[in-house]
Amino acid sequence: MMRILILAASTLVLPLAALLFAQWPLRDLVQAYSRQANDLAQIVFAVYMAVAVTAASRDGVHLAAGHVLHEREAHTSRWRAWAVLACTAPWAVFMLWSAGPQMWQSLVQFERFGETLSPGFFVIKLSLGLMAVLIFADAWTRALRRNSQPS
Amino acid sequence: MNTGGVWMLLALAALVVATGLPVWALLIGVASAACAVGLGLGVFDGGILSAAGPRIVNLLEHDLLQAMPLYVFIGVLLQRLAVADALFACALRLFRPLHGEAPLAALAVGTLIAPMNGSVASSSALLSRLVAPRLKGMAPARAVSLISVAATIGVVVPPSLVLILLGDAMLRAHTEASNLPGFVLGGQRIINTQDVFHAALLPAAAVLALWSVVAWWQQRRSTRDAGMPPLSAGQATAAVLTTLTIVLLLAGVFTGRLFAVEAAAAGGCLLVAITLVRGSLDRGQWREVLHDTLALSGALFALLVGATTFSLVFRVFGSDRWLADQVLASSWPPTATASGVLVLVALCAWVLDAFEMIFVVIPIVAPLLIVELGDAQQSAVLLLMVLQLSFLLPPMGYAVLMARSRSGLPRVATTALLRALAPFIAAQLSVAALVFAWPGFAHLLDEAAVVQAPGTTPMSNEDIVRQMREMSPASTPDGESPPKP
Repeated sequence: MMRILILAASTLVLPLAALLFAQWPLRDLVQAYSRQANDLAQIVFAVYMAVAVTAASRDGVHLAAGHVLHEREAHTSRWRAWAVLACTAPWAVFMLWSAGPQMWQSLVQFERFGETLSPGFFVIKLSLGLMAVLIFADAWTRALRRNSQPS
Repeated sequence: MNTGGVWMLLALAALVVATGLPVWALLIGVASAACAVGLGLGVFDGGILSAAGPRIVNLLEHDLLQAMPLYVFIGVLLQRLAVADALFACALRLFRPLHGEAPLAALAVGTLIAPMNGSVASSSALLSRLVAPRLKGMAPARAVSLISVAATIGVVVPPSLVLILLGDAMLRAHTEASNLPGFVLGGQRIINTQDVFHAALLPAAAVLALWSVVAWWQQRRSTRDAGMPPLSAGQATAAVLTTLTIVLLLAGVFTGRLFAVEAAAAGGCLLVAITLVRGSLDRGQWREVLHDTLALSGALFALLVGATTFSLVFRVFGSDRWLADQVLASSWPPTATASGVLVLVALCAWVLDAFEMIFVVIPIVAPLLIVELGDAQQSAVLLLMVLQLSFLLPPMGYAVLMARSRSGLPRVATTALLRALAPFIAAQLSVAALVFAWPGFAHLLDEAAVVQAPGTTPMSNEDIVRQMREMSPASTPDGESPPKP
């Protein structure tokens, strides 16, 4: 499930680049729809980043001391998995608890972008929830999996 | 409990070094633990923490940050495409008559790709693949030093990702500095990313020119590599077109015709189009490129999320105000205090990456530096140069670490490496000293955002209090009209 989500999200950089590039001719040549392209790019960006943090965790490419990237030991150790869970889980739960009502309000109102009134702003707010859920789920799964393996 | 945030910083530094856990997770973990302590001791109200959610939503809808995955995408694509190879082969031919083609070509490619590349790590990886094999005939220490130096060019050459993010951080820092005692905004406006680009360009050009002289001087008497990689007509065309495109995009950003995000998007779209037309990548390689882009972008964004959470708790403790009070109450002259702040930044940058610096340390120290120097653009350039300098200092400097571990060159002793780097560091330091002593150097390409008269120092707290008293009606002789300004 997570693999499919990450695969789907990884392709979003292409429409993101296309939309942000399109702003330029839309603004200077067509002189219309530039802001709408930007709004759509913002939605794509928010969803992309919501998944990206967990993709980085799964690949073990987060910055760490000694600038260790793809460090095998760091990526697989049991205590590290629990430490990451201890660091991120309270934050993720707090985010869902404190921002949950605003996300729900935004969703039921189908909140629009303030300046252009384009639809879809609620997706950006929901992306925070998606990010928190994915971070929590990934850290939890990783800690439990490591628990069943030797450290 | 005003010092709570400072203890958070110390705990973070200790945990980062001792545990090797991901920095973003530690930022969030330390902030969460400090929150629990603060709430337990009744230092602040829990309601204030509900600001964390909206602050992260702000990141998700931030216009400038949209450039981040695009820069990463370009960096990842450049690693796999022959465009950079063509640039390097062309530069080798171009500099052949000067008898220092390999180091000069390395610097040239570093300069061209740096503004469109994601980070020091990304530039270092590309240069290690491209340039290191051509430097086998050179003393290993000099080869490693050259790759390290070329990889840091993106820190100062606009409009790189580091500069874009620093520009955004400086905008916030300048706004914050304008609210600190001792700083008078007056008629000046808050600087933006464009101002930082303009301020950084000439010092960056000066550093590059000096580094080129150093590289050429070091290489001029060494034995020449007889072999020259073949350069096909297609490669030459690709190199010329790429150079033209990069220069045009940079000129568009520099003159304000293009936003940095649009330039990055244009670069990304062009690269995708070229790759598709030439069929340079198969399906599996495309999947890898997209996946690596997502993961590396996520690593950067996670740092932002962590730093946003951390800085909120830091401020909730009132530590930003406490730190400002300590620095601003210093009995040292402002330039000496500013030097102290820069040394502190250099020490932090010696062990931290550019993004960790921009998201965690710079937001705390930059407002203080601006107040002390009275010039936000000069402060921005100095911060960039200090970051670049620290990345070049062995054994911990980020660029040096990356070049040593990834270039595939023989192992090099730290003292030998330091000797090889010394002329580059001296050149860089001399430009930094020039910017420090002569702020006008950062304003030659732009009208100064700061209109403070030269030689004047920022107002002290006492000056402000005195001025306020003089302006208040009670202090006027008739108690009715305030004095004219």
